[in-house]
Amino acid sequence: MTEWQTDVSDGVAVIVCPARVSMAVAASFRDAIAAAVAQAPKVVVDLGPTAFIDSSGLGALVSGLKTCRQAGGDLRIAGAGEQVRTVLRLTNLDRILRPQDTVEDARRDW
Amino acid sequence: MARRLFDVPVVAVNVVDDHQQVSIAHVGLTSPVRPVSESICAVAVAQDRPIILPDAREDPEFAQHPAVVSDEPAIFYAGRPLHADGHVIGSLCLADDRPRAFSEAEDKMLADLATWVEQELDRDRDQREAREVQRRLLPRADVQVAGLEIAGHCQPARSVGGDFYDWQVLDGQLQVVLADVMGKGLVAAMIAAQVRTLVRGTSPFNSVAASVTRAAVDSQDDLDDAGTFVTLFAVRIDPRNGEMEYVDAGHGLAFVLQPDGEVRRLASGDLPLGAMAGVGWTSRSDVLAPGETLLAVSDGVLDAFPTAEEALAAARDLAALSPDPSTIVEMVTERVKELTTSDDLTVLAVRRETT
Repeated sequence: MTEWQTDVSDGVAVIVCPARVSMAVAASFRDAIAAAVAQAPKVVVDLGPTAFIDSSGLGALVSGLKTCRQAGGDLRIAGAGEQVRTVLRLTNLDRILRPQDTVEDARRDW
Repeated sequence: MARRLFDVPVVAVNVVDDHQQVSIAHVGLTSPVRPVSESICAVAVAQDRPIILPDAREDPEFAQHPAVVSDEPAIFYAGRPLHADGHVIGSLCLADDRPRAFSEAEDKMLADLATWVEQELDRDRDQREAREVQRRLLPRADVQVAGLEIAGHCQPARSVGGDFYDWQVLDGQLQVVLADVMGKGLVAAMIAAQVRTLVRGTSPFNSVAASVTRAAVDSQDDLDDAGTFVTLFAVRIDPRNGEMEYVDAGHGLAFVLQPDGEVRRLASGDLPLGAMAGVGWTSRSDVLAPGETLLAVSDGVLDAFPTAEEALAAARDLAALSPDPSTIVEMVTERVKELTTSDDLTVLAVRRETT
């Protein structure tokens, strides 16, 4: 099982992702986002360690975004590397999941 | 694995019917098929109970059983029935031609192993069903439109994804759709079926954008529920003048291969279906000139080429080798298969003839 490290401070939950966010971990990723939203509906997903995301991982991000917004919050992503940015750009999902360079950038104005 | 765990020469997963037992996975058996009259597993299945025989020759019920007195005797036997949907379908068994003690801990281990095999059989069946759904989503017949040459191919991955393509003729125009439901398995295949039906059904009365929007709105709840989204490329081509109306819903992998070797991309900023409620989709226009080929591929291609630009460059190289759409489709499929097989791959090509 992948451990999802979540830190909550100042009303913002930060989830740190593993190196690969793929089908194998998509279900536990969803659970981690749901658990984070229960603590704070403002969620930052730190993709700094992530070298690869597949379509199931993207699916988890999109459904996480919906969950956050339903709870009156939002989901932002930070530290996305080249592969992650490429698939976000290709699917136009960067329109709703705009990559921020760092977790600090993502937390700004929250 | 079971053979090592238990240190026995024979381990088998059997499917048993009224007449015979077929070992769908086994080690140490000379023949995978035997009549039920010669099978102890058949007894375990018929009575839906585990059977443990440390020394079958000393068991009053089985001492004279054909499996015990045969040339390859099962002196030690331990078998458990396997279930699917609440029915007994077969057995998992261990056997040895020597007597052997079977501890309680080993019995527990065999029970756990049987549960695991049941789950695997179940998953296997889900996979087959998903594959069947996916296969049915593909066009069964070729489509003929004067002035256009059309080819498509969908190569399913080992774990079934939600790729599909479709084509239909609307008032003399060709519409082709290529879509990819994010995620895998039966749910993805079923959502693909739904989107396909919605787009097909609404297309005759609507623009491409209106049809995609309708399909998206009608699918939104199901997509939310499944936590997935669908990337899609849909295009309508008028064979008389090459005019194209297309929608790119986060698909991003549609190109026009020009006879001069250049490639242009058909894309937009529109979101995938289900990514967010309340957004719209817009139709864009382009013209497929005589001799040009429209090429659309699914994101399986990204396993082989990490960016759209690299995929485009590869497509350009391949297209330079042949103008024929079915050859292009074949070459792209082969090329990607050489590099990866982890995702579905769908390739569609439509060429406007020069005369």
